[in-house]
Amino acid sequence: MPYIVKIPQFEGPLDELLTLAQQGSVDLREIPLARIAEAYLAGTEHHVDLEEATEVLWMLAAMIEMKSRLLVPKPDIPAEPLPLEEPSDLEARLEEKLQEYRAFKEVASALRALEDYQHRIFARPPGDDPNAVFLEGVTLDDLFRAFQQVLERAREEVGEITAEEVKVAERMEAILTLLAQHPQGVVFADLFAAAATKLQVIVTFLALLELIKNRRVRAQQPQTFAPIRVALAAP
Amino acid sequence: MTIPNGLVPHGDDLNLDELKRAAESILLVSGGPVTVDQLVEALGVAPQTVHALLWELQQDYAGRGIQIQVVAGGFHLCTRPELASYVQRFLRLDHREPLSQAALETLAIVAYRQPITRAEIEAVRGVRSDHIIERLLERHLIRDVGRKQALGRPILYATTEGFLRYFGLKDLGDLPVLEGTDPRGALGGMTPTPHASPAEGSEAV
Repeated sequence: MPYIVKIPQFEGPLDELLTLAQQGSVDLREIPLARIAEAYLAGTEHHVDLEEATEVLWMLAAMIEMKSRLLVPKPDIPAEPLPLEEPSDLEARLEEKLQEYRAFKEVASALRALEDYQHRIFARPPGDDPNAVFLEGVTLDDLFRAFQQVLERAREEVGEITAEEVKVAERMEAILTLLAQHPQGVVFADLFAAAATKLQVIVTFLALLELIKNRRVRAQQPQTFAPIRVALAAP
Repeated sequence: MTIPNGLVPHGDDLNLDELKRAAESILLVSGGPVTVDQLVEALGVAPQTVHALLWELQQDYAGRGIQIQVVAGGFHLCTRPELASYVQRFLRLDHREPLSQAALETLAIVAYRQPITRAEIEAVRGVRSDHIIERLLERHLIRDVGRKQALGRPILYATTEGFLRYFGLKDLGDLPVLEGTDPRGALGGMTPTPHASPAEGSEAV
């Protein structure tokens, strides 16, 4: 945000004052630069925007440099051109710098227009579309077929029935932990420990569905009947 | 509108209308920009034909809600700016945060003077710019392309493909022309100048 100067001689953005002074449209001898600097510094007592402060101080310094040149009386007779060469060279360099800076300021406003245009057009986001279906190529049937296979493998418990405490939330944590260790993802069956009981398998499956629903995990099947791969969803 | 004679591969009995519609469907399913090479491969026609097909497709879109943008070397199917408010409401998007003025100026300097060091950027801006450069790197608008063969071997920065996409530019030659001094003299057509060529082992620009 450009700093706005408010003095009787000029009211407007500081960079505009610099531009006008540089073009010679404003006589810097009429501009109390010290007062602008004081007003700016007074305003920074409560809040300093470092970016803005450096820019304002740089512009003020540039103008003080230009003003000092205007105030120093020019010698009527070019007595000895040798010692005078350095300041004029400095002036030329300062002029060049300012022009370069202004050119970039101009091009920045052209880029701003392009940015504004681009911000008003939309395309399908490439790759990780947050609204994409997380079950890529996997139908509900595929998921159930896989589930059945796991169930068949699950150890049938005979005899004494013991109360088991298997919580969906726990299995969700366990799946996330496992997947965090395998950034490339794991095969669906790997989620179910070989010796899992039926209850554990069911709870794990529920946990997986929950994670897919919450978009924390994605399931992919490259083609029909291929093993389903499960991986952490991109954050 | 027809494909100008001579652009169609001789002897091929191609259904140009179908190819045009095929190109359209490819642009739709692809998330990002689709390159000419990708279309050449998918459609099995010459690059000139791809250009002609897309040009015609773009004409078809006049007065419609979508358009084809040539960006970062590819063709991108996207919406039209005048419909932004509807799309934003549908997507429940807020206005996108524009770059700060300082970031935009810094980016302009990198774009026209690349590859460029931090000190060279600061010499133009007259202020320290490390924080802004850091932010531009984070947003993948600029990247580190090697080191300058100078005292301290400072890092050289250049713009990315994301930069082109961000501003909807086809390539760096598509940048707005500067008045007065032509900073593109230093750009040298996107190739690093000999005195500022990235060190071996780093990516070429």
